[in-house]
Amino acid sequence: MKHHPEIDKYAGLSSPIHNWDPRAKLIAILCLIVAIVLIPDLEIALIGLAIALTLVLISRIPPSFILKHMIWVTMFVAPLFVIISLTPSGGIEHASLIAVKALSAVILIFPMIGTMRFDTTVKALERLKIPSKLVQMIMFTYRYIFVFTREVQRMSTSLTSRGFRKRTNIYTLSITGKLIGMLFVRSLDRSERVFNAMVSRGYDGNLKTLVEFDMRKLDMVKAAGLIAVAVALDVVCLTVV
Amino acid sequence: MEMVISITDLSYTYHDGTPALKGISLNISRGESVGVIGPNGAGKTTLLLHLNGILTSKNGMVKILGKEASKENLKGIRREVGLVFQDPDDQLFMPTVFDDVAFGPINTGCSEEEVRDRVAQALKWVGMEDREQRSPQHLSIGEKKRIAIATILSMRPEILVIDEPTANLDPRAKWELVKLVKGLPMTKIVASHDLEMVAALCERTIILDEGKIAADDATLNIMSNIDLLERHGLAPASPIIEHQA
Repeated sequence: MKHHPEIDKYAGLSSPIHNWDPRAKLIAILCLIVAIVLIPDLEIALIGLAIALTLVLISRIPPSFILKHMIWVTMFVAPLFVIISLTPSGGIEHASLIAVKALSAVILIFPMIGTMRFDTTVKALERLKIPSKLVQMIMFTYRYIFVFTREVQRMSTSLTSRGFRKRTNIYTLSITGKLIGMLFVRSLDRSERVFNAMVSRGYDGNLKTLVEFDMRKLDMVKAAGLIAVAVALDVVCLTVV
Repeated sequence: MEMVISITDLSYTYHDGTPALKGISLNISRGESVGVIGPNGAGKTTLLLHLNGILTSKNGMVKILGKEASKENLKGIRREVGLVFQDPDDQLFMPTVFDDVAFGPINTGCSEEEVRDRVAQALKWVGMEDREQRSPQHLSIGEKKRIAIATILSMRPEILVIDEPTANLDPRAKWELVKLVKGLPMTKIVASHDLEMVAALCERTIILDEGKIAADDATLNIMSNIDLLERHGLAPASPIIEHQA
């Protein structure tokens, strides 16, 4: 049995965040993210970071897993931090503020999306009346990214087995370009076949699934609580400044 | 016997001008199992795509259960003709097995209870009842093939059309699938170039070559006519590869 895709790795745990209604969870944590991004003050942003870390702790997602994925974000945030610290209008404090907010926002993605299977996330988006076309695009990306990854692997295996090695030269670039082009052609063919299969089973532009969500009072309370915290973070800033 | 499929003089040309079907006429009655065999590029898949109106042609007529496969009848026809495509990654497009098998019944307007009922029954039929919450990428190719068939069975079609059901399967998975398909009660059309499998599944076989029907007879007669099979590139073992003594 192959292991879960990375994104679903800890969806099977049990925690107050895991058993939160997906719609309430998405909205509440999204509110918190927006609130944190709006904070103009470093100390309060640190409180935001602490709240984010607390949510991670409650969710039981291992910190090592989050750290591993934070490397990419850090690679993006670190240069920004350096550049902003060195600009006259920025300074270290401003740079820290931006870094803390960015890290908190990214950390919050884990309790938000990592605590349910991705197909549940997609269904929650659909029930939240996110435009159907967008939801379908997200869903198909999730479904077919593995198929295309395998296709790329097969193509590059076949290149390697015929003596191709990646080097820094025009030849490598042109081969890579052709590989990407081929992938586009194949995905176009596939999308046509998938569409045929969909139409054969009565597809009319909307993806329909059965409703499986059940919003309870506790879900509402959790959401209300977190949104209150989010609002408080910003309100405190207004009074302090 | 009641005709469930009747095709008269059907021709089809692709956008680029390649003719794919040339004057196909064909009648299939209720309960028949018909194999459509032919070399690669013979037009098998193109023919199948006409059976539920994915492709339509101005030249010729396709009638399903007495109704012409035209725009206004498509919804009904797609409920009656279930098409299982060759690559299960095309057939299984939803994030979980349950959602995939439920897709057809939901679209045809079944109630929630009915949908759950049909999904359970379809998965039981193909022996995959414990896979409901799996994602397709975590299934073996044999499991995917079975679930692809379940996505059609849940629509309770009158006619089951399967394109290359055993492609890429190892012998054990292949014969298990053959047994499964054989046990299904509806009218069946199976396109393949796997003669062994067609012989095991279908009483009647049609040879399609270069867009034309080259033969239409009892499977036994077709399979024993080695000359005919050889002419259409379907002979089981070519003399070229006979081992030297």
